[in-house]
Amino acid sequence: MEAVLKLENVSKKIGKKTIIDNLSLSVQPGEVFGFLGPNGAGKTTTIRMIVGLMKITQGDIAICGKSIQKDFEEAVSHIGAIVENPEMYKHLTGYQNLVQYARMHKGVSKERINEVIQSVGLTNRINEKVKTYSLGMRQRLGLAQCLLHEPKLLILDEPTNGLDPAGIREIRDQLRTLTKEKGMSVIVSSHLLSEMEMMCDRIAIIQNGRLVDVQNVKDFLDTDQLAFVVETGPLDNSVTWLKEDWGVEILENGFSVLARKEEIPALLKRLIDSGVDLYGAKQVSKSLEDRFLEITDMAGGQING
Amino acid sequence: MVNLIINEWVKHFRKAGTYVMIGLILLVVIGVGALEKYEEIKNPTFNPDWKEELQQQIADDKKFLEENKNDNIDSMTERNIAINEYRLENNLPPSPEKNIWSFVYDANMAVELAGLFTIIIAAGIVASEFSGGTIKLLLVRPISRSKILLSKYITVVLYGVFYLAIIYVFSCILGAILFGMPNSDVPHLAYVDGQVVERNMGIYLIGLYLLNSINLLMIATMAFMISAVFRNSSLALGISLFLFFIGSSVTYILSSYFDWVKYILFANTDLSVYTDGGPMVDSMTLGFSITMLIIYFIAFHALAFGIFKKRDVSA
Repeated sequence: MEAVLKLENVSKKIGKKTIIDNLSLSVQPGEVFGFLGPNGAGKTTTIRMIVGLMKITQGDIAICGKSIQKDFEEAVSHIGAIVENPEMYKHLTGYQNLVQYARMHKGVSKERINEVIQSVGLTNRINEKVKTYSLGMRQRLGLAQCLLHEPKLLILDEPTNGLDPAGIREIRDQLRTLTKEKGMSVIVSSHLLSEMEMMCDRIAIIQNGRLVDVQNVKDFLDTDQLAFVVETGPLDNSVTWLKEDWGVEILENGFSVLARKEEIPALLKRLIDSGVDLYGAKQVSKSLEDRFLEITDMAGGQING
Repeated sequence: MVNLIINEWVKHFRKAGTYVMIGLILLVVIGVGALEKYEEIKNPTFNPDWKEELQQQIADDKKFLEENKNDNIDSMTERNIAINEYRLENNLPPSPEKNIWSFVYDANMAVELAGLFTIIIAAGIVASEFSGGTIKLLLVRPISRSKILLSKYITVVLYGVFYLAIIYVFSCILGAILFGMPNSDVPHLAYVDGQVVERNMGIYLIGLYLLNSINLLMIATMAFMISAVFRNSSLALGISLFLFFIGSSVTYILSSYFDWVKYILFANTDLSVYTDGGPMVDSMTLGFSITMLIIYFIAFHALAFGIFKKRDVSA
């Protein structure tokens, strides 16, 4: 299957500074793909290059096989995007705003506009001026704006920013519907890691303009090996076998170990048999956040000045 | 392309400011009308002794011409003498009673106001998209940047034409109501190459409005360029309005000292000097002025489009 989005060795230099360094990745149809990275990592710059707001210094970006540099109009017609905040014409109503954008695409009917308004839940307020809208309503209008022409690739920069929990959940459900039923691909960027866990199929971790890692969210979270912390009295000479057989890390009053769940009873039994006082054992779940910090930390946690 | 222009048009017509501008233009025309009507009632203008007065005027002018030797003033005086003599020969009184055409002619001072408003629109039309952040949603459409910028420029020009049309049509209507149609045909007298010629008044006035708006068009184009290049509407507005109001007078003052003044934009924007009177610098011709205008026009657009197309948008 042809990738919806393909970045090939993309670099961006502003002056002498390299903002994006040799980035390559691809997004498949029907996939929710996340850009994750600390502030200033280059997420938004990457998105701006994908939608053609910024020029690419080196490499190329193709959307549905069309180069954004050589074939801009064709390539960008497959994209619906919100870049940073969805800024609209504040002196127009929500509906008038959507009509503005509908005029710039081919074949967006009145029915289609109303259908989109319905789907983002703005029917009741659509004839009010945008300056009376809350941030959450603007987000919804922004989403409506990029769905009008039924794009193949949806790009949402921080889509849940400013939404209440119910709104966040709604957006999430909507993304599921769009990807699963209409086969749309979605790129989201967010600093809310827990959000990314719930929304994305794959996540690219970007740092200092480099791609650190691309992971499946499932693999990211469900490794067989779980981390446990075991609280004990003095370990004495049990330390030797613990280290040799289990590879534990000794803590102040106990140790931590990576193991599969079913192996734990055997470990605890042997501890008791060795006469070590056992006070407790608990699983420490490893969230995406830990993994994220771990990975970015390995790559050096400084924002390049 | 048509859709883009409709979009721009809609954006402006949803703003209260647009109606204030139209209202102000109408007010100025009404104001001029009211003043002239008041004048007319207070002191009727027709002077039965106009022939004697003109003869006196011609004699004065001839005397003045002999005593002074200044190229600029001379050509003006020669023109006045010629026209006045023509009036005597053909029995055409210089100030017949007020009529629709004389009012339309007087109302053309409102063109300055139309220019002012057109410049305001030109200065904001690109810059406001940047300051509002809406440029991002505008540029991620399947439409090239040149087309978007071109649609905005065409909108500016259409606005200028729209305001001019309002002034012309409204002053025709108001003039007809207040002063009525002229009793006899009143031609416009022009002085071309030492000859006096009669011209149809209605067409002359449309021509006058259009000629007056060349200055307007060039400065609006410049405001548009500054707006697109610097993304700053205050800068565009400030520079353009400054030049709009003082550009031609400064150029006029400079023209008596330097010859290179003829290359300045404002020395060339008033093309009516080639049909009525003389240019600022004697070596200038109509062809020269048109060439200069085209060069400036292309330069402004080359800058605006070149930079707008290449720009990284990070607003």
